Amino acid sequence: MSVAASTQVTPTAPGADGAGGVLVRALEHRFGTNQALQPTDLEIQPGGVVGLLGPNGSGKSTLMRLLTGLVPRQQGEILVDGVALSGDGLEIRRRTTYAPGELHLYGELKGLEHLRFLLRGRGPQSLKRARAIAGELELPLERRVRDYSHGMKRQLLFAASIAPEVRVRILDEISEGLDPAKRSQVLDLIDADAARGTTVLLSSHHLGEVDRSCQRLIFLNKGRLVADESAEDVRRRAGRLVRLRFSPGALPHGGAQALAGPGVDSVEEAADRVNVMLSSDDPREFLGRLAASTGLPAPISVEHGRISLNELYRSLYGVEGT
Amino acid sequence: MFRGARGYLLYGLGFFVVLEIMLVAAVYWWPTFEQNLPSIKAIAAPIKMLSSLVDQVDQFGVSGYIVGQHFFKGCSALGTAAAVLFGANAIAGEAHRGTMEVWLARPVSRRRLMGERWFGGLLVVIAPVFASSTTVPALLGMFDKTMAMSDLMRCSVHMSAFLAAIYSVAFLWSCYGSEPMRISFVMLFASVMVFALYLVEGVTHYSLYRLVEIKVFMRIITEDAMNWTLLAPMLGCVVIAYALSSRAFLKRVP
Repeated sequence: MSVAASTQVTPTAPGADGAGGVLVRALEHRFGTNQALQPTDLEIQPGGVVGLLGPNGSGKSTLMRLLTGLVPRQQGEILVDGVALSGDGLEIRRRTTYAPGELHLYGELKGLEHLRFLLRGRGPQSLKRARAIAGELELPLERRVRDYSHGMKRQLLFAASIAPEVRVRILDEISEGLDPAKRSQVLDLIDADAARGTTVLLSSHHLGEVDRSCQRLIFLNKGRLVADESAEDVRRRAGRLVRLRFSPGALPHGGAQALAGPGVDSVEEAADRVNVMLSSDDPREFLGRLAASTGLPAPISVEHGRISLNELYRSLYGVEGT
Repeated sequence: MFRGARGYLLYGLGFFVVLEIMLVAAVYWWPTFEQNLPSIKAIAAPIKMLSSLVDQVDQFGVSGYIVGQHFFKGCSALGTAAAVLFGANAIAGEAHRGTMEVWLARPVSRRRLMGERWFGGLLVVIAPVFASSTTVPALLGMFDKTMAMSDLMRCSVHMSAFLAAIYSVAFLWSCYGSEPMRISFVMLFASVMVFALYLVEGVTHYSLYRLVEIKVFMRIITEDAMNWTLLAPMLGCVVIAYALSSRAFLKRVP
């Protein structure tokens, strides 16, 4: 199919009338009896990278498809780049790029033909940029896509989604299946794009893959938004968490509450594990109290200070994608 | 698998070549058929519907033979297969391959995507019918026979409407389904059964292929006019199926 006439998006100042941002109000979605997305409110300001995180089946892809009109909206309100979702979402798709998480491409097409296919309606400049990005990623555009590896297919989708001049990009699992070097290259390109004022909504089921690029982290689980905070706050919080592990059955039920006290914000107990959130990132006072405590068995492990973000989420919310 | 305009062109060309080969063979064997017509009538006599077909060819001469061979046999049998395969694969094929999402994710409206897919597939099915029909006068010229191009074009319109109706039904099913093979098998099996009904006395009137039998085409030729009594319902079926397809496709989730 030939490339259709490109769509010109009239630029408006970032932030004006929601331009460059994403606004979701009371959005929910059901597939039959399965509540894929529980009522969700979300506001993303223009510019920067926002991580949409959660395990498989948490509702990330459904939310992204709803934002682009690929899944017909049932309830709620969606505004992307200042445009309300209506009809089949064409106006929003003109103003955004979307890279699907599902990696099914037309194997019979050559890489360049596939880029043309993906960039239909975007104009020749987008194709030119996509070719340049594909060149940077060393993608063999002359080869048929059926001969591409998993990672190469992912990069092809990435090149097509990062090339058009839009203010909002919605990238579903864009780093999935990439080797560390390519992942870093892709995240560098996303960072550079966001630095120019683009809003990037980046999903992953593996926080550790994308957290370095994200300024904000939104965590979904079972269709519910369980956390929404700045990445900096999360990193600070990671420095305040102490994780204790006891021998199975050694910890009496409710016994961990003995750890509450000055310098401790919260104590959570789950089986033989206890998560203690401190008021500061200096654990010495707490560790001293722990050592002096006689009502508790000795822990078999104490972790503090080197906890990754995905470990933090696993500790806080009991969910983590990998 | 070929995609886009190139794909439509190649598949259409392939269908045209097959139709043309059948047409050339039919025309080539016309003198032999004409010469052996009495024997063929005798052989067909025990089967009433078959006998009726041979009688129609006998009655209308080379025109009856051509519409029987080209439209009733070639276009309706092969055309049904083409219409079913293209219709069934149009949307369900994308779902089956998992490519529905990249297809829909571009800044192109769903109505336009569906319209392009629908018209592209339909052209593959009907353009070869018209194209092969245009070669009939030249082929018959080898035996100092001829048929008017206007008659052939009217017959092609009628044939195309029949195929478009089958295509539209397959396309509609495809808008709901994700298994193109299943849709194709069921529809092809059903069409073979309906074609077989044509030859069974007593139930022949239940066969949809009565809409494209020799008598229908000869009436179009002798009256110099389209048979709107048959054409209008077929076109109505196309319009309704398209509207329902559009409704289903707009709600379709990748």
